[in-house]
Amino acid sequence: MRDLAEKWSVAPDWQSAVITAPGLAVRAISGLTQLLVSGDLDAWARASGIDGTGVGAFGAAQGGRYAARLARDRLLVVSNSPLAIATGWHAEGFAVTAISAGLQVFEVEGAALDAFIARGTTLDPSQASASAALSFAGISAVVYRHGSKLRIHVDRGLAAYLWTWMEIAAGNIAAGSAD
Amino acid sequence: MQIFPCPFCGPRDETEFHFGGDAGNIRPDGADVPIDRWADYLYLRTNPKGTAREIWVHMNCGEFFVMERDTVSHKVLSSAALGGEHAA
Repeated sequence: MRDLAEKWSVAPDWQSAVITAPGLAVRAISGLTQLLVSGDLDAWARASGIDGTGVGAFGAAQGGRYAARLARDRLLVVSNSPLAIATGWHAEGFAVTAISAGLQVFEVEGAALDAFIARGTTLDPSQASASAALSFAGISAVVYRHGSKLRIHVDRGLAAYLWTWMEIAAGNIAAGSAD
Repeated sequence: MQIFPCPFCGPRDETEFHFGGDAGNIRPDGADVPIDRWADYLYLRTNPKGTAREIWVHMNCGEFFVMERDTVSHKVLSSAALGGEHAA
């Protein structure tokens, strides 16, 4: 039987994977708790004590526990530590779904961050947008700033593709190429 | 490339959107719908030269909305979220 896995490059070891170029560093972030919250986001904020608005595209998230807005009625809640709220439907009017295993998180930093963003999306990073869900490198991603760094969440199945794209982008930025 | 305005997210690249058909093309209801009414619903499009009212969805946030745009100049005239009703 043909081994179709040979068609694709082996996914990096996310614990140690790093992309470095002059003015740019990319790492994978592991161990974050990620929850999808859908429904009445005001009710979520009252029940959990966690922000029910969430940062939008290129918005600035702070601290070890925050939320990114995905849609009018959906949030991605991110935490450094496990959250003491049950998954499933809550009678207050919202649902919580664990998605820590479903999304891979990358963190990008450096002086060339703006050039990196410009290669990934046509969206103006200085213009506010309510939702952090956008197309980046041709795929759906959740993109926002965390401190001075850029965080990108993508479906885990697309993480190896995005890593390859980021390696090429970093190389082109370093070489001063317009590609 | 065009920039379309999502009522929730604001201006986004056209590649983030998916066309959902003419606004006001309401599905016939009932068992006695004549065949020409079904044909009208399924196959006939207004295809106006000028202002068109269309349903679009922003794939990234899932927002369904009505966008009014000029099919000649490609200028977007308005966009408004669907509040559960079918836009007429």
